[in-house]
Amino acid sequence: MKRLLIVLLIIGVVSVGFAADGTEQGFVLEEPVAVTSAGQSPGALQFTVVAKMVKLEYTFEKLLSVETVDISQFKTLVLVVGASGKGLGAANIDIEAEILRVKSLAEAAEKSGVKVVICNLEGESRRGPSSDRIVTELAPFADAYFVKSDADQDGFFTTFSEKAGVPLATFEKTVDLKDVLAEYFGK
Amino acid sequence: MRIKAILLVTLFLASALFGTFFRPDVRPGYGVTDIGWLSDYFSPLRNTNMDTPVYFMDSGVDGPTFLLMGGTHAREISGTTAAIVFIENVAVTKGRVIVVPFSNISAASIPDETGKSPHLIPIESRSGSRFLVYGDRRTDPLDQGIPDPEIFKHAQSDFTLDDGAESRNLNRQYPGVADGNPTQQLAYAINQLVKTENVDFNLDMHESGTPDSYIDSKGNQRSGSSLAYTLVCHPDALEIGAVAIMEIEAFYGVSVKLEESNKAFRGLSHLEIRDATGSLSFLSETPNPGQDSWRDRFDVINDPDYPLSHRAGLQLQIIRSLFGAYEMMIGETVEVENLPSYEEVMQNGIFSYLN
Repeated sequence: MKRLLIVLLIIGVVSVGFAADGTEQGFVLEEPVAVTSAGQSPGALQFTVVAKMVKLEYTFEKLLSVETVDISQFKTLVLVVGASGKGLGAANIDIEAEILRVKSLAEAAEKSGVKVVICNLEGESRRGPSSDRIVTELAPFADAYFVKSDADQDGFFTTFSEKAGVPLATFEKTVDLKDVLAEYFGK
Repeated sequence: MRIKAILLVTLFLASALFGTFFRPDVRPGYGVTDIGWLSDYFSPLRNTNMDTPVYFMDSGVDGPTFLLMGGTHAREISGTTAAIVFIENVAVTKGRVIVVPFSNISAASIPDETGKSPHLIPIESRSGSRFLVYGDRRTDPLDQGIPDPEIFKHAQSDFTLDDGAESRNLNRQYPGVADGNPTQQLAYAINQLVKTENVDFNLDMHESGTPDSYIDSKGNQRSGSSLAYTLVCHPDALEIGAVAIMEIEAFYGVSVKLEESNKAFRGLSHLEIRDATGSLSFLSETPNPGQDSWRDRFDVINDPDYPLSHRAGLQLQIIRSLFGAYEMMIGETVEVENLPSYEEVMQNGIFSYLN
């Protein structure tokens, strides 16, 4: 255990930085945070592993829904996008039901003044028709984007960010997300 | 004369009985403390081409037990090579590791059905020439002994696949069937090993096609394999997998995708072994150019983008990182010496770790 904690600390030290323009504009995010998947890839779970590193106060449910949670009890909703056939199969839902679920959450969050973050944590491997469709459906609700840089090589996320005038923070490696979280949540 | 005849008949029967059994070249190091057979866990496999050696590496110090499987699909040679490197180099200092380098040895005993690769690939190891086995994806039809059905049906569920030949694919049969066909029995035997040896966690090493996109025969651009560079985890093992792949990416710059077992797709090791035995299950996929159906020619050893050193080195690194992640999440782990890192394999070449 001790050895792994050291490894994770080292990961933190060796991690390169990230490029964020959000906080320069005074944009901040607050806890508590609701985290859910948008597409049922394991990216959302990876998000929570990183969130633990910066001691973020979060609640994680893969299938968080407006029927089961009052989103107004949170200050931030993080939707980790990644369409996975395996994950959708494991959850026994299809892509249409998944989009309906996360859109309802995002709408409820917007109505309650809860900030919505769209996150791509798995990079290029989660860019495809289904994942891109989820992002497109959620884009009207986004207050910020946290994106692994190889997912934005074609400027897909940059376009949404610039069009809506909301910040986009990119990072090279998954673990570098912790620097983004530290910056945006003031950790 | 009668004695001579009896001897001849005995010799003939013995050669018929044992001569067809395939035994790949594995040269154990000092870390191997015992060698058994899969048939020790399910006797009907004994004296068949489905039986396969099992290598035990016991530290003698209390700790978890880890099962490492290569050769479920015998053409996926990063897994068999990594398993052999483990057997020939590593010493376990805490806990226990059990290695089955050729899980489906019947599949290893025949060449890849595509006919594009030699069955035995000559290489230069640290002690001289030897061969790597490039087998088939599925059990030899002769060992299966029955024709493939029209469609494949998983024995414990209603899950079906259109390709009946998948009835000879070990990684569709878990948790196996004791009185089933030979491939179902093989899966059953592996499941029995996991149960009997109280295996805490396990990794089944595979390869897929490469992620390279290509132009098909109709001139359309096609995406490469989405399976390449993936670690598939049972839902209960997902967090361990997440930590492991983050370490690999952070330290070695190789991004590995995390996937969760699809509970609707039955018979796969990473789903069924956990559900049947409690052992936390993982399956890794590295990109093998030999599995790109669109390539007319390929080099599964020295491909410039996906050389075997890269692929087997990544498998070894996944093992190492899983050990670390398991410790983080469970509290203790298997400890080893002389397990080369990805970086070391890339520097020295994978064959420098073969006896």
